[in-house]
Amino acid sequence: MGFEKFGRFGYVSQTKINPLLSYLEKGRIAATKCKKCERTYFPPRADCLDCRHSTIEWVVLDGKSKLITFTQVFFAPPAFQPETPYLLGLAELTNGLRVFAPISPAVDKEELNPGVELNLKVAKGSRNNLYYWLE
Amino acid sequence: MAFEAYSSALDDADVESSEIDGSVVCSATHYDKQRSPAGVVAEYLGLNPQPTFNVEAACASSAVGLRTAWALVSSKLHDVVAVVGVQKMTELSSEEIQELMGRAGDVMWESPFGTTMPAYYAMYATAHMAKYGTTEEQMALVTVKNRKYGMKNPNAMFQKPISVEEVLKSRPVSAPLKLFDCCPNADGAACLIITNAEKARKLTDRPVWVAGLGLASSPMSLAGRKGPLTNFEVTKNAAKAAYQMARVGPNDVDVAEVHDSFSITEILNYEDLGLAKPGGGTRLLEKDETELGGKIPVNIDGGLISKGHPVGATGASQLFALTKQLRGEAGSTQVDGAKIGLAQNIGGIGMYAAVTILKA
Repeated sequence: MGFEKFGRFGYVSQTKINPLLSYLEKGRIAATKCKKCERTYFPPRADCLDCRHSTIEWVVLDGKSKLITFTQVFFAPPAFQPETPYLLGLAELTNGLRVFAPISPAVDKEELNPGVELNLKVAKGSRNNLYYWLE
Repeated sequence: MAFEAYSSALDDADVESSEIDGSVVCSATHYDKQRSPAGVVAEYLGLNPQPTFNVEAACASSAVGLRTAWALVSSKLHDVVAVVGVQKMTELSSEEIQELMGRAGDVMWESPFGTTMPAYYAMYATAHMAKYGTTEEQMALVTVKNRKYGMKNPNAMFQKPISVEEVLKSRPVSAPLKLFDCCPNADGAACLIITNAEKARKLTDRPVWVAGLGLASSPMSLAGRKGPLTNFEVTKNAAKAAYQMARVGPNDVDVAEVHDSFSITEILNYEDLGLAKPGGGTRLLEKDETELGGKIPVNIDGGLISKGHPVGATGASQLFALTKQLRGEAGSTQVDGAKIGLAQNIGGIGMYAAVTILKA
């Protein structure tokens, strides 16, 4: 199985950043860092925007983040309908990079507001799929 | 559908098909059954063997079509170009539409979490509410206003008024957005005939001039965008370019058409276009300043919320409404003495925005 294992329902199978899955399997979330200019990317990318070099290393993130905004989805694409309603959020990590991720259903919607602190953690789906969510 | 719009555009411009030396067909082709629709549209309109091609920029396709046609005419490569915005969405089942909607975002990093078109705009709404205290009642006022004007537009899909309460009671789609905060999918077509100044003056004594063309882009992924997500940087950038080119400012605009894909979008658009200060969009609404008779009437053809949103046709439909206004042909919704009109058209989840300024 390729990268379609990523997410609740993955669409893309072949990518340059498939090693992210190995980190997720070990319970870790990792970003990529350009070996030449040291710019860090999350979501990971294999090609540096600044210096156009494509030699990267992986760095593990601590997952601490602050919520920027969120929504609760009631009307979902077909593959996601059994899970409705569900929460989606955008958060800023401590390194200033941003992550778009589901918010764990264990989080009380009433407690959510831009600015609240959440942790980005590895999540596992029932189809052996792997991703991350905010909790 | 495309023929109806094209034929009435030819009558209006007093030109024949034989004088059209190129066509730009605008649609978000993933919503059409027909692949590469320019082929079949040009054939049906009798526009072979002249050049034709598709322009796609999601919901902003035909605004970008105008930009393309303007460049074709300005470069003197063409004399008269037809911009045909057309979308036939109802051939797809709602299941197919929902599947497509699920891939409106970045398919690698965001769609795998169950994103939808409304979900992205809802996230802007949440941020705006938190920062400025915007309420769901205030957002509902956009739908109430636009539905009111939809009743005066025979081409609008919705012809009935709606109350704030009905909007608030409609079923949730992606919180805080509810069904009647959202514009409906639709089939539709609109056509523009673009030519140079010399020819325009020969054809009509009331030409409408393209004074400003602004187009900008933004990262497609929400994670790639900066700031608190209480506005669309992409609109601000497109507006800046359009105002500069037209040598006008927001206070000079007499009538505007903005992209009300969702109620919250219209509020953000007021602010991003400089019609209101950041956070001041709701006040403009509450003071009836965007009504007919107000400081700057907005979407008084009913907007996408009443007309429906035939993705590829929407940009041209906005420009059609402005053209009517600038010629004084808008009937019961005519803004007295309208000389400068502005249209703003957002593509997809905010990765493209076009701002077009027309002058009488």
